[in-house]
Amino acid sequence: MDLVFDRVNKRYERREALSDLSFEMHSGEMAFLTGHSGAGKSTLLRLLLLLDRASSGEVSVGGRPLSKVKESRIAKYRQDFGVVFQDHKLLADRSVYHNVALPLEIAGFTKRDIDRRVRAALDKVGLLDRERASPDALSGGEQQRVGIARAVVARPKILIADEPTGNLDPQLSAEIMGLFSAFNSVGVTVIVASHDLALISRMSQRILTLDRGRLITLGAGSRGMNE
Amino acid sequence: MSNSQTTSAGIGAGPRSALSAWAHHHRQAALISLDKLIREPIASFLTVLVIGVALAVPSLGLSLAATVQGQISQIDAPPQLSVLLRQDTSLADAHKLRTEMLRKPGIADVKVIDRDSALADFVSATGLESLVQRLNRNPLPHTLWVYPSANTRLAGVEQLQVDLGSLAGVSQVILDSRWLERLNAFTDLLRTIAMVLGAVMAVGVVLTLGNTLRLGIEARRDEIVVIKLIGGGNAFARRPFLYTGLLTGALGGVFGGLLSGAALLILDAPVKRLFDLYDQAPSVPSLILSELLMLISIGAILGLISAWYSVQLHLTRIQPR
Ligand SMILES: Nc1ncnc2c1ncn2[C@@H]1O[C@H](COP(=O)(O)OP(=O)(O)O)[C@@H](O)[C@H]1O
Ligand SMILES: [Mg+2]
Repeated sequence: MDLVFDRVNKRYERREALSDLSFEMHSGEMAFLTGHSGAGKSTLLRLLLLLDRASSGEVSVGGRPLSKVKESRIAKYRQDFGVVFQDHKLLADRSVYHNVALPLEIAGFTKRDIDRRVRAALDKVGLLDRERASPDALSGGEQQRVGIARAVVARPKILIADEPTGNLDPQLSAEIMGLFSAFNSVGVTVIVASHDLALISRMSQRILTLDRGRLITLGAGSRGMNE
Repeated sequence: MSNSQTTSAGIGAGPRSALSAWAHHHRQAALISLDKLIREPIASFLTVLVIGVALAVPSLGLSLAATVQGQISQIDAPPQLSVLLRQDTSLADAHKLRTEMLRKPGIADVKVIDRDSALADFVSATGLESLVQRLNRNPLPHTLWVYPSANTRLAGVEQLQVDLGSLAGVSQVILDSRWLERLNAFTDLLRTIAMVLGAVMAVGVVLTLGNTLRLGIEARRDEIVVIKLIGGGNAFARRPFLYTGLLTGALGGVFGGLLSGAALLILDAPVKRLFDLYDQAPSVPSLILSELLMLISIGAILGLISAWYSVQLHLTRIQPR
């Protein structure tokens, strides 16, 4: 699913979080979204997930203008996305297994399919042996990997992550970014917002840099940063 | 891959059909609600108790009214009529009247009570011998006791009362049914009170259970937010709460049914004594069973309404939409 931002503005009261933002991403592409804190990274992702609507301009996903998506269809629309949050947003009263199973329950998979998919997803993030654990019993890195397993388990068309490595040390951060690259290599469109330039510049993917709501570079990896 | 999802990660078949997914969601939600009820027994138990009492009180009132009115309408051996004759009517005329009355339809038997034996009965019953001796004549008239035939209902007996009153030599016809009329009016009142109470209690149940569910929604706010963030709509998020409402209401109905059933059992004997008709009382167990089923249904419906109201008010407002 192609993503198109066409002269998008997002205003919060007086402050303009996004200004005249235009860019395109093709299906299967991976991009990092970077910029200082407050640059508008989260706002951009929120528009994409229809957690908020643009003040002007249009965001289109798979050719569909989001301004045309009715309130009642938003939940269904979000099922095309997998989302990874900085604070994981795991549910403490469910096991790792049942946290990962949640999107499949929402999508209405059978118990058998849920079982197969949850195990496959946990296997990919290397946590198959922790499926019965409570998320509270896991380290920060492990929790984020559970969050990633939950994000990919229903085979989303687009994977979105907002500061997924925010609380992790550089080694774990690199591992997490590696996981995103791996999912992208099997065809998932991936957008990762991160202010960790040191980490991002080592990756080879495209980089979108925001500064106070404006897009300042459209580059790829270290090349993009040096232009 | 804009028009295909086969290239994306993961294994296994796609989601099942919409209908079976729907059924599966509902089973799941019902199980989750049951699990919650069991894991929070005290809170659930108190709510069930309140709903039970709220359902039992009006339902008991309605049952009692129905029982009593059923008994009244069933009285097919109506009380006798006392036909007081005029003071100047002789005993011979009394016997003639008896023969005349026996020819009328609806009358099974007529007994002549002559005034002297009536006075003797009065003396022996009251012991007021000295008072009677001071009277210079018997103040009682001759009296006929008229027994309506067994298939005559109360209305027929009342008609008989009017007919007999118009016969020559008759002073007054006394039908001892006033208490039945009063009882009838009283049970009407009881029914009205029970219905008003029922309406008030139903609103109370919806507010109480709605509030309990609101607390449940608040306690699971994080979960609801996450569900919405990852594509679960309001329909998915609210389902466990709807089931909790349904289940709590139905359990309240069970408790209310048992409560009013026990009360009916206790009241059974006094009600029967009231009518002195041991053979005609409706069977209490079947009454209790039908009442139990009714209260479970009403409880379940009220529970669902409460949950719906609470969910619309609180859950759908949780951001994101
Ligand atoms: N809900 C909101 N209400 C008001 N201002 C907001 C809101 N969300 C974000 N902002 C503002 O928009 C700007 C961009 O924020 P954000 O997108 O969160 O930046 P980033 O994720 O890059 O750190 C910031 O100045 C922030 O204060
Ligand atoms: Mg942010």
